[in-house]
Formats: sequence, C-alpha cells, structure tokens
Amino acid sequence: MKTVICSLIFMFVGQQSVAQSTPVWAEKTPSIGAIETIPNGLQSKTQLEQLREIGEALFTAQFTDQDGAGRPMATQAIIPTKPRRELRQAFARTSGMDANACSSCHNQPFDGGAGGFVANVFLSEGFNNHEFDTTDPEFSNERGTNHLFGAGLIELLAREMTAELVAQRTNALSKARENGQATRVALVTKDVSFGYITAMPDGMVDLTELDGVDTDLVIRPFSQKGVMTSLRQFTVNASNHHHGMQASERFGARWTGETDFDEDGYADEFSPADVSALVAWQASLPAPTVWQPSDNAWQDAARKGAEYFDDFGCTSCHRTALPLDSLHFYDPGPVDAAGTLNKHDVANPAIYDLSQLDWVNSLEQNEQGQFMVPLFGDLKRHKITDPENDLLGNELFSQRFVGRDIFMTAELWGVGSTAPYGHRNDFTTLDTIIRAHGGSAKPAKDAYTNAQEEQRSAIVAFLKTLRIEVAE
Amino acid sequence: MKPIFALVSLIIASPTFAQSEFLGDVPHFVEQSEIAGINHQYRGPFEYFVGGGAASFDCNNDRMNDLFIAGGEMPAKLFRNTSKAGQDITFSEQPISVTGEISKVTGAYPINFDNDEHMDLMVLRVGQNQILRGLGNCTFAKANDHFLFYGGDAWTTGFSAIWERDATNPTLAFANYIDRDAPGSPWGTCEDNVLARPNADGNYDQNQPLSPSFCSLSIMFTDWNNRGNFDLRVTNDRQYHRGGYEQLWNLNSGGRPEQFDARDGWQKLIIWGMGIAQTDLNADGRPEYALSSMGDTMLQTLDEDAEDDRPIYRDMAYERAATAHRPYQGDDLKPSTGWHTEFADFNNDTRPDLYIAKGNVERMPDFAEIDPDNLLMGLPNGKFSEQGGAAGIALPRRGRGAIVEDFNADGMLDLLVVNREEPVSLFRNLGRKTDWGYTPFGNFLAVELRNNDVNRNAVGAKISVKTGNLTQTHTVQIGGGHASGRLGFIHFGLGVAERAQVRIKWPDGDWSQPYRVFANNFVVLDRDDPDAKYWYPAR
Repeated sequence: MKTVICSLIFMFVGQQSVAQSTPVWAEKTPSIGAIETIPNGLQSKTQLEQLREIGEALFTAQFTDQDGAGRPMATQAIIPTKPRRELRQAFARTSGMDANACSSCHNQPFDGGAGGFVANVFLSEGFNNHEFDTTDPEFSNERGTNHLFGAGLIELLAREMTAELVAQRTNALSKARENGQATRVALVTKDVSFGYITAMPDGMVDLTELDGVDTDLVIRPFSQKGVMTSLRQFTVNASNHHHGMQASERFGARWTGETDFDEDGYADEFSPADVSALVAWQASLPAPTVWQPSDNAWQDAARKGAEYFDDFGCTSCHRTALPLDSLHFYDPGPVDAAGTLNKHDVANPAIYDLSQLDWVNSLEQNEQGQFMVPLFGDLKRHKITDPENDLLGNELFSQRFVGRDIFMTAELWGVGSTAPYGHRNDFTTLDTIIRAHGGSAKPAKDAYTNAQEEQRSAIVAFLKTLRIEVAE
Repeated sequence: MKPIFALVSLIIASPTFAQSEFLGDVPHFVEQSEIAGINHQYRGPFEYFVGGGAASFDCNNDRMNDLFIAGGEMPAKLFRNTSKAGQDITFSEQPISVTGEISKVTGAYPINFDNDEHMDLMVLRVGQNQILRGLGNCTFAKANDHFLFYGGDAWTTGFSAIWERDATNPTLAFANYIDRDAPGSPWGTCEDNVLARPNADGNYDQNQPLSPSFCSLSIMFTDWNNRGNFDLRVTNDRQYHRGGYEQLWNLNSGGRPEQFDARDGWQKLIIWGMGIAQTDLNADGRPEYALSSMGDTMLQTLDEDAEDDRPIYRDMAYERAATAHRPYQGDDLKPSTGWHTEFADFNNDTRPDLYIAKGNVERMPDFAEIDPDNLLMGLPNGKFSEQGGAAGIALPRRGRGAIVEDFNADGMLDLLVVNREEPVSLFRNLGRKTDWGYTPFGNFLAVELRNNDVNRNAVGAKISVKTGNLTQTHTVQIGGGHASGRLGFIHFGLGVAERAQVRIKWPDGDWSQPYRVFANNFVVLDRDDPDAKYWYPAR
C-alpha cells in the first residue's frame, strides 16, 4: 500500500518535486500539498480513488516539525486562540498536541477505526486553563476515540435531516404568517422525533419544546456529544488540536490576519485541498456490516438477540437503519458555518458519488429506493443518566451547550470491533455498558436487566456481529 | 504547508505590500437606491449645510427597519421596508399621514416615549423640534402637546436620550447649533444646548439650558466610566464657536449638570466636531470614541491616568491608522470633512470597523471637494485599514448623516448615506466578492432586547457577546452619529464562532443569565423569558 501511495503522490506532485530536489528520505510528509487545488465537480471513480489514496496517506502520516506540526502559540480551541505565553512542551497527553497521526488513535480494527482506552482524548474548550496537565475531570472531559467507518453516510443522513427540519420550520412560519395564528408543529425527520416548535405570526419561534437537537435545527452527527457538523469541521478541529497542523481555511490570514497563526515557522500547514483529501477518504470509508459467524450457536443467538434488541426497546434510539435519499457527498458541504469551508466558499464543490464504491452495494434499499443506512442510531441526543444510574454522568463540563448528562445516541454499527465501550471507553463489556444506561434509556435498560440470562447473552451475541470487516 | 521564510520574502519583494495589508474580507457594496425606491435629497440653504440625518426603526412591527429621512427645506420622507430576506432592498414611500408634510428637518432619532407597542420619533428641525408619536402601521401624530414638550425654536442638529435611574420616561438632550438671530451671527453666536428631564407625570414642561454651549453638531449620553450613570458628551464646531472646546457634562446621577474640566483631568480639545461614535474596542466596559472633524478624525481612549471621576483621554487615531484626514483616492490632498461616524462590523470578522461619512460643507476651498466616505476595516492588531474604495462606497457625493443597518436581513450590514444636494445613497452589502459570485462573510448574530414596561427597547443596556476568549460589548443608545440614529436588532460579527453566550446588563443594572445561542440567527431576548427566541424574516 505504501508503495502505491508514494507512486501516486509523485504522480500528483510530478516535476515540481523533482525540481525542488526533495530527497525521498526527507523528514516531511509528501502527501501534504500532493494536490494543489481543491477538487471540484463530480469526481469519477478513478478521481475519487486517487483522492482517497492521498487522504489515507494524510490520515496515517506521522506529521513532523517540518510539516508544521506543533502549535507553540495556539491552543487546542476550535476558535483560533493564542496562549499568553508559548506552550511549555510541544506534546502533552492531556491538553495536546497529543498524537503524531490521525491513525495513532483511529486504528481499531483498521486505520479509520476506534481507539482503546489508551487513545482517549481530553477535551477542554481550550480558552481558559487550556494547558492543563491532569486527567482530573475538573479540567477536561475524557472521551474515547470513535471509529469513522460509514462516516460519509452518517453525514449525508444528517444533512438530509437538517434540511427536512429547516423546511418544517419554514413551513410552520409560512402557515403562521398566512393564518395569523401560532402554529405548533412536530419536528420529525426519517421517523425520528425532535420535539416541537411553535411558529408565531410575527416570525418568532418558540424553541422550548425542542428535543435532542440544537436550537438552529442543525443535526451535528459527530463526536460523542453530537456537536460536530461535518467531517470537514472535525478534520480542521482535530488537525489543530491533536497535531498542531493548522488548516488555512480557519487559522489562515482571512480570519486571523496571519498565515502562521501558531508561530511555528510554517505557513498554511493544511491547504483546503489537503483537508478535502482527508474528508474524501473518511467519507468513503466502508460502512460496518452485520457479520455472519460461522459458529451455528452464535448465528442462532445473534438472530434471537436482534429480536430481543428490538423487543426491549433498544431500537427506539439505536434505530436499525435510517433511509438516505442520495449518495452524492458534496464537499465542502451545505451546512458548515464560517470557519469551515462550505459550498458557498468554492466555485463548484466536489461531488463524491458513493455509489461508485463497491461496499455500497451491500446497502439495502426500501420501496422508495432510499438506501437504508444500518447505523443503529438516530442522530439524536438523549439524557443518559438518572438519579439511580449516573455511571455515564461522569463529566463535569457541558460541551458546546450540551449538558453533561446528555449524549448523542452511539451508532452501534461496528461495535463488535471497537471495544471498549462508553464515551470514556471505560466499560470493558457490552453487558456493563448496557447496564450503565439511564435516563431516557432506562426502560430499555430495565428490560435488559430483567431479562433472562439467555436473552441478555443473545443481545451480546447480536451486537458482536456488528463489525467492521474490511478496511477497503 | 509552506516554510514561512518563503512567504516573508515574497511579501517584501512585492510592490503591492501596502495594498495587501488587509487580508480579511472586504465587503462589496452596490448602490441601489433606485432599485430600492428611495429617491430623496437633503437640500437647502445655509441652515442645511449641516444636518441631513435619518432614523432607522420598525414602524409596523415586522422587525424590518423602516426609514425616516430628513429633507432640509424639502419635506422629510418616510419609507416602509418591503425587503425580503436576502433579496434586493426595497422600500415603499409612505405619507406620514396624520401629520402631513414636515419640512425644515435636519435629522431624526427613533425613541419610544410612552413605552407602547409603537416606536415614536424625535424629529430635529430648524425651528421647533417635533415628537411624532407612533400610531402603528407607520402612521404618526404630532405629539408635542401630548407630552407637554416644548420643541423650542433653535437650529437643532443633535439628539440623545437615556432613561436615568428609576425614571419611567427618558431624559432628552438636544444639540443646538448657531443662534442665527443673535447679533454677529453666525460667528460666536452659539445656541445653548438643552437638557429636558421628565417631570413626575412624564411630561417635559421645563427645559434646562446647558450653558456654555459651543455650536454643537452631535450629542450622546454615555457611561464613559462604566459606573452605570450616563453623562453627556458633546462635540462642537470650532468654525463658529469662540473659546469653545469639546465637552463632557457630569449629570450627577440625575442632579445638576456640571462640566468636567481641567480640574477633573478633562483636556481641552478644539476640533470641527461633527459626529460622535462609541464602541468598546478592548471590552473593558469603558468605551472608546470616534469624533469626526475636518482633517483628523479623533479616536479617543481613556488614558492610564484616568480614574472613575477623572475623564482623561488620549487620542490613538494615528497609532491605529484611523485619522482618515484626507481623501484616500484621487489627487486632492486637502483635508477632508467628516460627518456621521459609526462603529460596526461590516464583514462579520468580530472586529469593529469604522464608517465615516465625508463631504465638503459647501464649497469650502481649503478642504477637499471630492471626499469619499471612509470604511476603515478593523485589523487583528487593532489598527484599521481603509477599504472604502475597494468596498465600492467612494462616490463623489457630499455625505452627512448615515444609517448602518441590515435592511434585508441577510446577516450583512448595509449602509444608507444622506447626501447634501444629491440623492441618498443606499449601499447593499453583497458580501465577499469572488470569481464565482458573492459569498457570505463570517458568522453573525443579531440581538433584539425587550425590557419591561419601562424603556421597552432597553436603551442604556449593555450587551456582552462571548465567543471563546473574545467578549464584544455594545451599549444600546439613542444619540450620536450625525443627526442620525437607529433602534432595532443589534448586529455582532462572530467570525468563525458557531455559537455564542450573551449576557445583558439591563438598564436598571440587573444582569441576565447567560443566553446560549447559535450563530447566524436573529435572537430576541425578553427580560421576563429565560429562553432566547429566534426570529425569522419573511422570504
């Protein structure tokens, strides 16, 4: 694989590399800058594959000082923020930078996957007390590393859901204005309910009955809290936080007046094209599958477990599948706010037709021709603790307006390949993480704990068939 | 990634270095007063060399700000905003039906005198000033008698209002210019400014002269020391006063007004003062002031020797590259003439920009004849960069008053300029110009405050918007600028921030809880409601 990537990079860089006489052993990442312009328009399968190769090379690259890794004068914050003085050490396992490569943490069972407890990340907003050196939850929230398989489909679902919710709000406002009366509407998309809004004739909207979504009705599908809008936003955030590789689309001169915001001597460390390559690779990672064990007893238990999973109410949040209308992944996308490129920031966004990828053939289609994305999630936030069960309420900070006891439903596809469990990766078995559910998951959890041992075992058998089977 | 040394050498070698200092988004404006249906001029003889203001406010409760524009010797006009969100700006001229035509108007400010649902107007005139009481649906009635308000007979050029502590009705301040009936007029014959405090019944039956006065052109209540008590800042025109200077009146928390003077550290400054703007550049609660003049614009900040009772200011216009002292394009090197001045974030990058209307008074040969308006864009280092030409607002017109407003609710601030003897300019802000069209700037937030039954629009409230480590503050004000004012949504640029926390210090000093809101929304914060509500314009 590495040989292929190197060949491809040389193909992109071509004569330029030769002219610069950069030796092949240089301590730099050749995939940075391998594409000079951001891709645009519908990409052929070959073009997408080439982008993916670059993206994978970037995802697995061990970034070096000479790439611009390090952020001596920038904190981990998503808004470009300078510390009062230069950070004392380049690497810090707590406040970051804390990884050499994306794949340093995202690697189970393959690159792009999840991480074990050792790969937990410590989240702080990065504004005050940004240089903490303790894992005490008083200073940060500790989170496990999520896998990225099927992430392109997740983002596409979120975009469609956002568009539907916004359309419902627009329609409610139109009706209220037309009829001169308050209009209360249920917000439902892909059969997932997000509460109610009440539109007033004067254009005001009462948001107090919203449930599980931000007040701007944007479904933010990524991170344990559901606070990241897109793979692109996540990539820009994480590149700075974990590697000190700053994307110019947020840390560059347009917003900060500087090309080297982190003052490490390297300007524009990640170009928009670099970010696009990373996004292309992540967005096209294959979706996890339901694995068929060869063991007959496991097969039988898993089949029953799937039924129990439904019967016990687990699927009320861990929805078996959500329908997706289109497999066209636009990058930059339609929802991101300023600071992450969105479709308005480019002349012609790239379109990755995911149907060109072989793994997409395994997706079932419903009668309407929609692709059923088997994520075992609902892209909605729920309260997950209650007074009797606060095991998952172990954070002290809310994150981006989301309370400490509220989390996005974990998508369970791939859960059989990504132990340990829970947002802190501190549950070693599926049984214990199920028992840790509280809050709105209490009825399902109670059904599980009150079930017979055989039934509980069957559910575990089922969940262990939700696997990330192949990397490519 | 590029090693930084390569970039540095490129910049040094480039002859366009000076032009490329501003690396952010330059707003691109197009003048579309004709499309908008605004055909209006501010005209008239000597009395109308100054003034030329407008008021922006919502007179029909649709949250899209409408316009009242002074006409000088011509009638003032009222324009109802008919724009749809994100579309061309459009207005519909509407008669001020109950009152008929009003002429001799120099400027106007919106204000809700009686705390009802309808905004009122204070109309400044050469002659009797006039309260227009809003009746709804953009109709008004003359209401001086209703409020027992004596409008005087002065040549009024500035206005400000504040609800002093525990008052149910506003205290009013009027900036008056020349006493044109005095012997020797116009030189050295300045009319006294006036302070009008309401009596217990809410009426204005006694006006208090603020003597001495020095031919004032703008006036503004301001909490300069962040103590919660508003004093009165006045800018004065040295062209006509004799022995005058810039003034700050200590209102003594509702007591007898007294001037701050040298004993208090107030330094004598003599300029052709024409407009006042305030903002809080360093979010320390104590505002900085821009004073427009002929020649240098002043940018004042409290000196390190200042104290709560010692208003010692120093000018930092030069160090911040904000002097704007002569035209930035063309070959006319004579000093320019500044009028309306206002801080606002025109490109949503979180940094205050400074707009200054410019224009020769009337064939004054020692000052620039072609004098384009300034758009000084805020830089990350606190300096400003002139981008008026690149932004498209450098028309050869004689600007006077102005309104900065998001007329079409697209999250980008537009600009209306009242020009003397020339058509009003209405600049629609289209955003950042690219090869593939116009694209939005950074994120924004628009905030509307609803106070309780007194001072509904929360004049005097302080809004703090926090994104990351950055706090932006804004004081809701009536006054300042040049004969022009506005009330309505208050615009904040949020840059790359997706969300913000907002806290309000209400006019009575109470702090709100933090409101958590998402960017790119119009947010209504009601004092009695713990939850922010969002407003969506009609499309």
